[in-house]
Amino acid sequence: MDVEFRIRRFDGEKSYWQTFNIPVKRGMTVLEGLYYIKENLDGSLTFRASCRMAICGSCAVKINGKPRLACETQILEIGNSLEVEPLDNFKVIKDLVTDFEGFFKKHEAVKPYLIRKDDNYEEPVELIQSPKELHAYYDFTLCVKCGACYSVCPAAATRDDYLGPAAITAAYRFNADSRDEGEKIRLALVCGDNGVWRCHFAAECSEVCPKQIDPAKAVQKIRFKSAIETIKSIFR
Amino acid sequence: MKVQHDIVIVGAGLAGMRAVIAAAEKSKKLSIALISKTYPIRCHSVCAEGGTAAVMREGDSFDLHAWDTVKGSDFLADQDAVEFFVREMPKEILRLDNWGCPWSRTEDGLIAQRAFGGHSFNRTIFAADRTGFHEVHTLYERMLMYPNVIRYDEYFLTSLVIEDGKIKGLTAIELKTGDLILFEAKAVILATGGAGRLYGFTTYSHTVTGDGMAVAYRAGVPLKDMEFFQFHPTGLVPSGILMTEACRGEGGYLRNKDGERFMERYAPEKMELAPRDVVARAMWKEILEGRGIESEHGYYIALDLTHLGEEKINERLPLIRDAAIKFVGIDPVEEPIPVRPVAHYTMGGVHTNANCESPVKGLYAAGEAGCVSIHGANRLGSNSTAECLVFGRAAGEKAAEYVLNADYSHVSNEVYKAEESRIFDEILGKSGDENPYQLKKELNETMDKNLWIFRIEDELKEAVKKIKELKERFNNVEIVDKTKGFNTDLVYTFEVGYMLDLAEVVAIGALNRTESRGAHYRLDYPKRDDENWLKHTLAYYTPDGPRFEYIPVTITKWEPVERKY
Amino acid sequence: MWQKWFSVKGKSLFSIAFSLHRLTGVVLTIYLCMHLAYLTSIRMGKEVFESFIATTVTPQFLIFDILLVLAGIYHGVNGLRLILHEFGLTYESRKSILYVSVAIVLIVWLIASYRMYTFVMGV
Repeated sequence: MDVEFRIRRFDGEKSYWQTFNIPVKRGMTVLEGLYYIKENLDGSLTFRASCRMAICGSCAVKINGKPRLACETQILEIGNSLEVEPLDNFKVIKDLVTDFEGFFKKHEAVKPYLIRKDDNYEEPVELIQSPKELHAYYDFTLCVKCGACYSVCPAAATRDDYLGPAAITAAYRFNADSRDEGEKIRLALVCGDNGVWRCHFAAECSEVCPKQIDPAKAVQKIRFKSAIETIKSIFR
Repeated sequence: MKVQHDIVIVGAGLAGMRAVIAAAEKSKKLSIALISKTYPIRCHSVCAEGGTAAVMREGDSFDLHAWDTVKGSDFLADQDAVEFFVREMPKEILRLDNWGCPWSRTEDGLIAQRAFGGHSFNRTIFAADRTGFHEVHTLYERMLMYPNVIRYDEYFLTSLVIEDGKIKGLTAIELKTGDLILFEAKAVILATGGAGRLYGFTTYSHTVTGDGMAVAYRAGVPLKDMEFFQFHPTGLVPSGILMTEACRGEGGYLRNKDGERFMERYAPEKMELAPRDVVARAMWKEILEGRGIESEHGYYIALDLTHLGEEKINERLPLIRDAAIKFVGIDPVEEPIPVRPVAHYTMGGVHTNANCESPVKGLYAAGEAGCVSIHGANRLGSNSTAECLVFGRAAGEKAAEYVLNADYSHVSNEVYKAEESRIFDEILGKSGDENPYQLKKELNETMDKNLWIFRIEDELKEAVKKIKELKERFNNVEIVDKTKGFNTDLVYTFEVGYMLDLAEVVAIGALNRTESRGAHYRLDYPKRDDENWLKHTLAYYTPDGPRFEYIPVTITKWEPVERKY
Repeated sequence: MWQKWFSVKGKSLFSIAFSLHRLTGVVLTIYLCMHLAYLTSIRMGKEVFESFIATTVTPQFLIFDILLVLAGIYHGVNGLRLILHEFGLTYESRKSILYVSVAIVLIVWLIASYRMYTFVMGV
């Protein structure tokens, strides 16, 4: 069966649509379709891909208007014609490749690592954490940083410096970790002018997350915590 | 453009990032650069699923882990390195714990362990079935703490600069702009991973093309034991996505078309949990003898998890369930998963000693790109992520010690100019009638057919001939995309060139080794031959193909005996 | 830029709810300005004020009023929904809550519209 791929291309100066027809078998993914085009029809088609098993987060693109991981999207589930575009809210470098530099900088900015006073590199000790404590944050560790959430966020669309759902989720993941002692430090970082208060709960991030992480939930949890801390500080 | 760093680490997977952290911990004054072809968390290490082996609990011992590893390697492992490795491993697990890795836990809150193939104790530490993913993210996040680490994301390695047996730096293309950058360094650590994309049916990411190995090989550094290529028993049919060994570790069965657990005929004691080479051979034999299950994508074997129950699968193997549902539409809770042996790991790599030092001064290799060798002829499951941690650290520390007493040596402008013209004039600007994608396809077909689990002289000779022909044709390749910025076409062509070189080493090495050992099985020489072949293969680059030398294996405690499971 | 607040292609109901919230917010702001302007007109005398008011209480103007009320109710109810979620509560059932709030908006609006209709038309 032939499927029509309409691809939004960009060569550094101008942006245009290009259409390819490719033969599709049951089980073929959009990423395999893109590779088919690159290998057989147009070698200059540019996209990112690596693991092809939905764990590395490279291949998030907009498919029929919705951001998805190309590698885990079955072509035939979408239909017999589809539109592939680069993610919104990111600067396009070439074809489907977008600039993730700022995205990773924002992730870095929330100090997404365990902060402990007794951190000892030479002589580490086993920390005790019950399955229940693990469960409290585990789902939020599954973020692959694919950028899907950021690309649909209306707050990120109009504020370049908004940290975005992924970075705030990373902060929440560590705040909720029973081994961590850096909650105060991280709260100060994510509750500033470009932080959680920019969120207006469109909740689209949770809708598109390919790992079903619920970033919107993490943002609200931090926001609530921050409100409580602020109120407390008034009476202190 | 030219930049200068004390240590340049190429490859941002587990080994690379562990090396970065080790070097940064050693001294805050060092300037450390991390170059990677993708963003660090897009590396192939995230695909590791099952776990990481370490001796943690009462009842287990370092000697037992070392013995399992040595026996698994079919006695080709260097035993001094293995002993060092098992002793260092528990600390690495605890470090990751202290850095935030969400290890799965026992009811008491201790780090949990599970059974794995070839290990005689349940010593595999895991984080559900996304161990590699969590380890990579933990290391990446930890790495952000060190201000003296500078990341160069999306830079593609093109050559090493080695003069007078000493490393001087390397060149890499900045993908975004397409500019060639010269890195001057006192020490370079290669952690670029394996060469899995040589094969068509493989668990590897698209990006794993053996860049570091090939670049080092071309620069005159020997490659070790490249003919040993691991085939993982359970790759999802048809895509080759890894179905972790933990499926069997948690109690899954392998069944042929009669529903028989055939492993009892091949490894009566360990059954499904025999080492990978044994299981993969058994499965392939079942398929060859007509006991595979037929499908539109060829014959397969059933990986049966249905008796484990939904709760256990959800807790211990969530990724497997997710992948099976998404990619083949099968829910492992209800139906067996279709699997077939699949190319999975490169035991060989850049020749190094137990300190990760290559023969070139200042050049180190760690992880899958290096070959210390602790895996010998066959790696045990969950020893690879472990290797990355231990030897990543070792490489980082040794390199840091080395550079503290070394000086920069400048690379002349001619070297840069020559490399620039090689890339942009000779390769990008060339016209010809071959296309790299076709060559890659033919290479994959050859490897899948002639260098698969069972090898035989005629087929190996055919493979060598074919690869030489492909190399010849590669000289005539034309790149469609002539632009500079983010030219993945150019990168792909480079990768195909690298892979052709490596494939030649693999094929000739396999042809030369007239015995069966570990993952290398010759139908015409089905026995292990310790008298003639208890030695490592070293391949040196020459313009007409590899030149081979052999070096002895280090044996400390364990003399080779018959290998039975 | 700000146009992206209103791009709903491929988006879920939540984004549409967000876009409408922004849109109604803008409408209400404009209304607020007009409202204040009307009230201020009393400084120019009672007649001016009453002539202003008289233009609005007409059948022709009713349609705008009804739409304005819709905007107000939507903005209010949706705002309550957001406050609930933003206090860190009930995201798990956010879909049903969205449906319920839309239902509330419609019911309240229909009742209000009916009452305005009877008032203006004098039936």
